[in-house]
Amino acid sequence: MSDESETDGGVVRETDARPFGLPRWVSLLLPLVLLAVVLGVFVVGSPLPETGGQPLPDVSITHTTIPDDETVVLHATNNGPDSVTISQVLVDEAYWNFEVRGAGGDRTLAPMESARVVLPYHWNPGWDLEAVLVLSDGATFHHAIVAPSETPGLTLDLLWTLALVGLFVGVIPVALGMLWFPAIRSMSDRWLHAILLFAVGVLGFLAVDAGFEALELAEQVPSAFEGTALVVLGVLGSLLLVQSVSAWRQGRAASGDSRASSGLWIAYLVALGIGLHNLAEGLAIGSSFALGRVSLGAFLVVGFMLHNVTEGPAVVAPVARGERPALGHFAALGVLAGAPVILGGWIGSLAYSPTLGAVFLAIGVGAILQVSWEIAGLVREGNGRLASATNMLAFLAGLAVMYVTDLFVAL
Amino acid sequence: MPSLGYERAGAVTARLEERLTDRLVGEQSVSRRTVLGSLGVAGSAALGLGSTRGSASAGHEDDEDHHGNFGAVDEYRDRDFDPHEFLRAFNTGRNGQDAVPQDVYEEDGRTVREFEFTAVDVPITIAPGVEFSAWAYNGQVPGPTIRAVEGDLIRVRFENFGRHGHTIHPHVKNVNPAMDGIPQNGPGVIDAGEDPFTYEWIAQPAGVHFYHCHSLPLKEHLHRGLYGAIIVDPDPERVRENPADYTNDHPSQITDALVEDMVAEAKTRNHEYDENDAVDEMVMVMNSFDTNFDGGNEVYAANTRAFAYGVGETDGKGNWKPGETKRPIQIDKTRRQRVYLVNATEFDLVNSFHTHSQFFDYYDHGTTLTPTHQTIDTVMQCQAQRGIVELDYSDHQPGLYMFHAHQSEFAELGWMSFFEVV
Repeated sequence: MSDESETDGGVVRETDARPFGLPRWVSLLLPLVLLAVVLGVFVVGSPLPETGGQPLPDVSITHTTIPDDETVVLHATNNGPDSVTISQVLVDEAYWNFEVRGAGGDRTLAPMESARVVLPYHWNPGWDLEAVLVLSDGATFHHAIVAPSETPGLTLDLLWTLALVGLFVGVIPVALGMLWFPAIRSMSDRWLHAILLFAVGVLGFLAVDAGFEALELAEQVPSAFEGTALVVLGVLGSLLLVQSVSAWRQGRAASGDSRASSGLWIAYLVALGIGLHNLAEGLAIGSSFALGRVSLGAFLVVGFMLHNVTEGPAVVAPVARGERPALGHFAALGVLAGAPVILGGWIGSLAYSPTLGAVFLAIGVGAILQVSWEIAGLVREGNGRLASATNMLAFLAGLAVMYVTDLFVAL
Repeated sequence: MPSLGYERAGAVTARLEERLTDRLVGEQSVSRRTVLGSLGVAGSAALGLGSTRGSASAGHEDDEDHHGNFGAVDEYRDRDFDPHEFLRAFNTGRNGQDAVPQDVYEEDGRTVREFEFTAVDVPITIAPGVEFSAWAYNGQVPGPTIRAVEGDLIRVRFENFGRHGHTIHPHVKNVNPAMDGIPQNGPGVIDAGEDPFTYEWIAQPAGVHFYHCHSLPLKEHLHRGLYGAIIVDPDPERVRENPADYTNDHPSQITDALVEDMVAEAKTRNHEYDENDAVDEMVMVMNSFDTNFDGGNEVYAANTRAFAYGVGETDGKGNWKPGETKRPIQIDKTRRQRVYLVNATEFDLVNSFHTHSQFFDYYDHGTTLTPTHQTIDTVMQCQAQRGIVELDYSDHQPGLYMFHAHQSEFAELGWMSFFEVV
């Protein structure tokens, strides 16, 4: 990796860069100015012939919150290119009174604008409701509220509960998993590599699982925000970001920075990837609370613990060789990997939206993919054969263990 | 509870409207309708009539029921059609709506009542803020109510300005197939831009009847709004001569006293007799609208506008206010009330009319002068069925008395109304 000298390091070249004697900044801006002019002509002059056909209104009701037993709140977003006006609201096929909040004081939503439709409705716990927004042109948008139950508001109690849940399903299992460190350290290279591939299996499963979940959520994202594209962007974006950090590290290592070449970096990257994944996990827990959709019984917590304990060895395996890092690093790794569950829980309960959920999940997936790549590199550097029989079986075991433990966590 | 604020509200609103539209003349970006729309709210708010219930982001903490209330939110801003005006608008040739050109004259010893009908495509407001692309006779749904006396000639000159071909098919006894108003007979459909066609029908039998477009597809032409009522008043002289035609009783049961009763009843039904002035007459066409084209209705109403005869605002505890455009039908308890009821509901098999705390006599199709149902509080009608409902509130205390379709779904989707007995 000593090819650094091939680039010019960002130094401006002195070529004959003064066409027509214009300064450089003018030549940079000129295309933009011309673009603005062309756009202006197009918008004002509308040179295209009238093609006919009205764009159809498109409104999505992303989710519902139920703050108390006499109120239902629909969260609606206008996806269409034109403004829409919510003229009436039906609840179970009856016109009902309502208020629109968050749309600038009226009932009209500009394109991509979101608002809350507040219904004073004395609902029955567990009895489904059908809400319909009727727009000014009579178009209707339906939303089924399945088995309504109250959404807990923001209270210290809730934050504390979520912190506790996060501690039990995130921090503690990862920390427990990290206790395998001495055992991993004493293993032969062959078995260490198997453990590393096991970790890749764990991560691979998480990536697939979270990826599908992100795509599922993307369907609920208002179509104006292009949910699927957002997920792809999230995955690639985080992959490339983490990869660039990694590449930067490799650069440093090549130029003789010993700290940068240690396995600790990789351990931190793994912890970051798992942390991002756990953030999304926390988000799911928090939003389930927010939507009144969860009964986090002991069984679920046990499931999460089993599921997450395997993330511990994945974090510490990269530092199994060489000098044992200071204990502080272990603490930091554990917090980085596990604590985001708490953070995600808080975010999810306070500001749930399918868009946010899909983005966080996608970011987690990207980070995990990069980290898996990194671990594979670690095995190769340790003179191991990536695709040995042991390694393949270990990878498979990682996938299988995650699948089985995932069965305990059907949120 | 002052319940007579409508006129004052209307006057203030009109003045405000005028002032603002004058001020905005020439400003192309502000359409007259937007101005009028926002003024509707301003006007009523100025009078404290509270049309702002449930409006956007209102921090209303007044005495409204915390469980919420059913009913369409907001008032009607479009004043092109007023169900309260329509309710008592009869076009007799002599008197009627300004928007319906009409005339009455003698021809070969017969009274001719002549009307000009047009078909137009027009957006109508069916719930506050909800517009429906209607096809309408003379720009209104329901179409103008035609009123004639038994034996008169009804002459309707029909011109089509819509996109589709339309007809007028009358539910009267019609002896000339060319005048039946169907695509397969006579002039067929009258296309847009085609020369006007003049339909002629003898007004018979006495009763309340229905007219509608009979173009295909039938469902669409009907539910888009091409229908209305024809009222044929009985001729008391004819009743005296042929009493058996006006009752379901067997001829052996027709006594002199019964004949005199029937003649008296006929006089109250005939708009050309003074006895008719003592009766408060109303037309209610029960209709419905499918706004999202799924073959089911989003709005039900009597005379098109959801909840137009409901109260403006209520706390559900007996405290209510009339709205500016949604308000109960005021009736004088000393007068007899007569409702000409027509069912034009599309997509549903039946509709119904139910009165609270009150029973009524019902005359199916209005073709008899003795009731076909006595002392009932609910009557059902299938599509195109109609009848006369006669009500007496003379021994009721003043106040609100609800009436509505007793399909609770229809009631909650707009077909819910009140009489305010004063």
